[in-house]
Amino acid sequence: MANFYKTLNQTNDIVNTRTLLHEAIPLTGTIVSGTYGVENIKNYSHGMFQSVYDYPYLSSSANHIFDITAGYANNSGLSASANNQNSKKINIYNQMAQVMMGYDQTGSILQFDEDGDLLAGGTKQKENIFLNFSRLLVKDEIKKGSFELEIGVTPEYAQNGTVFGDRIKLADLSGSDGYLVNSPVGEYGILYATQSAGTNVMAAIGSGHSTPVGLLFYQAGVAVITGSIFLEVASGGILNNAHNNVSMSGPSSTEETVLAVLTGSQISGAADNIRTRIYNLQFNNTVELNSTVYFCRANHNEFNYSSNPTYLSGSKIRVKTQTTDVPVSYITTIGLYSDNNELMAVSKLSEPLKKTPDNEFTIRVRLDY
Amino acid sequence: MAFLDNSGDIILDAVLTDHGRKVLSKGDGSFRITKFALGDEEINYTLYNANHANGSAYYDLEILQTPVLESFTNNASSMKTKLITIANTNLLYLPVLKLNQNMTNTKTHTLGAFLVAVDRSTEGTDAAGTTAAVGYNGTDQVQGILFGESFEDSNYIRIDQGLDTTEISPKEKSQISDMIESSYIIQIDNRLGSIVDKNGNRVAPDFIDDDNIGFYTVDSSDNIVSDNLDDSNSTSQTISGPRGTIVEFKIAASLDLNTSTFLFTKLGNTALMTNKAGTPASQSVRFIDTMVRVTGMSTGYNIDVPIRFIKTII
Repeated sequence: MANFYKTLNQTNDIVNTRTLLHEAIPLTGTIVSGTYGVENIKNYSHGMFQSVYDYPYLSSSANHIFDITAGYANNSGLSASANNQNSKKINIYNQMAQVMMGYDQTGSILQFDEDGDLLAGGTKQKENIFLNFSRLLVKDEIKKGSFELEIGVTPEYAQNGTVFGDRIKLADLSGSDGYLVNSPVGEYGILYATQSAGTNVMAAIGSGHSTPVGLLFYQAGVAVITGSIFLEVASGGILNNAHNNVSMSGPSSTEETVLAVLTGSQISGAADNIRTRIYNLQFNNTVELNSTVYFCRANHNEFNYSSNPTYLSGSKIRVKTQTTDVPVSYITTIGLYSDNNELMAVSKLSEPLKKTPDNEFTIRVRLDY
Repeated sequence: MAFLDNSGDIILDAVLTDHGRKVLSKGDGSFRITKFALGDEEINYTLYNANHANGSAYYDLEILQTPVLESFTNNASSMKTKLITIANTNLLYLPVLKLNQNMTNTKTHTLGAFLVAVDRSTEGTDAAGTTAAVGYNGTDQVQGILFGESFEDSNYIRIDQGLDTTEISPKEKSQISDMIESSYIIQIDNRLGSIVDKNGNRVAPDFIDDDNIGFYTVDSSDNIVSDNLDDSNSTSQTISGPRGTIVEFKIAASLDLNTSTFLFTKLGNTALMTNKAGTPASQSVRFIDTMVRVTGMSTGYNIDVPIRFIKTII
């Protein structure tokens, strides 16, 4: 009896697999801070955050890569009603904290904790810069242990690329084996700062010193960085006192500290200052690929004839001249069907496979979800 | 679709079809793949040169160099020609499907397609008996026009299966015995029409896909498939050798075409036809051209029948 469907054995021919795929996401600082001027930087009338694109955002080719915003807790020393956008900065902090850190037993929003040990209390990060990465880049999550953000901390203010002589690198150094799981948005790691260029940039110990400066939420794709990375120790920061605070463009001059910017400038102004200090940013993303593999087995005595109209001349098979010639067919397509003969999936070979009674094939068709 | 890169290792480009995605999105567990088929729609077997001067290694050189297109996601556009499993490797002939136009009431219209009159005023079976009808020429039914509302005509579509060769007698039924089709799949655009038997009895579709293509599996229980018992050289037969089964059906016009001109305006055009009074090019009609595909469930051989739905402009 002729037939053209072959039933798949549900045990031996169908296999489910799960694979994690990683892509490297390198973002050179110039894209963020200057290649396109400010044409790839989008500010909004509400002033709550700033968006960064990889190309002038009015172009249809532009991809959204991340947002920058900043905020402080309402019990921060910076909080004051006279501040520029004071309530918006508090709102941003609270919004990010309630999503990333959640609530305590009383329903109060938990603040960002420097070491993630919420029960022990400890130092809270009350003045933060937030980098919210686009799902286009993060996919399912940032690969643990792969995040590196290099920031120029040369004390002088400039926007001509000369602020990168002294640099610190923020990385989730313990991410691969020391991440935390007490966040409502999944796993997160601690970002540590190390000196990556210049001399005596960081406080006391200098090169090689690691200091916790933020949190990286892997699945949420959010980096929470303390504003103190731009301050010397004497001002509550991590930089060497001899190195001085990093100068920023504030409400009244270009020699103001990050504290003055966070209080006196708008969020977009703070974002501009931070963005132009980004030297390099890279991480690997992760895609969780759930696959079903169908092993389509064409045995020697199967699929040797074709219903292709060109296969026949009248009713005579073109590829045979006498009955004893072996039949020949060529496989280009595999169709996967339901019980009801509905074509659910189709796959194509890049070149025809010759099928005769002398050979057999097992074609492995993988569908990813 | 672009061609697949065939410069290196053999790769496989797999996608869910649009219908597969639709079924998957239901989330009711109905997405279940249970079988597979192999296809060869890019292959042109006329390139197989069994007389190549350089020997058998060169017979299919051109076929093996055929570039293959990326997968189509439209389920109705893929797997049009399939590879067949037949245990006997000594076959020299395979059965085909052929439109039988050897009888007056199974011929296509002179336009080269079967025409389906979508309402009674187009058929000429309405009480008013308007001369604008095109289903009749005087009192004679016009060849190749199927009455899609009343079915009060004797025309129908007939497809014969068998070995179309004069080298085997039609009496040698054993040559085709394990390749006789007992059921067929008929595909038709569900927006335009549906399948009925010769008496106008409707057949239920198996499913309507996301592109509104209706799939009907028909067999002898639907009064659409029957054995071809004629093993003579009768002029009514279109298959020269041993014969398998016959598929006979009509097409019912959809309610949309029957009662509205919307789809005609959107998908069709207008033309002039001969009216009931026999005056050529005297009657304006709206029309939509489409295809009905009939596929054998056993051999996978298929045939496309051209169809034109018509509606008179009164």
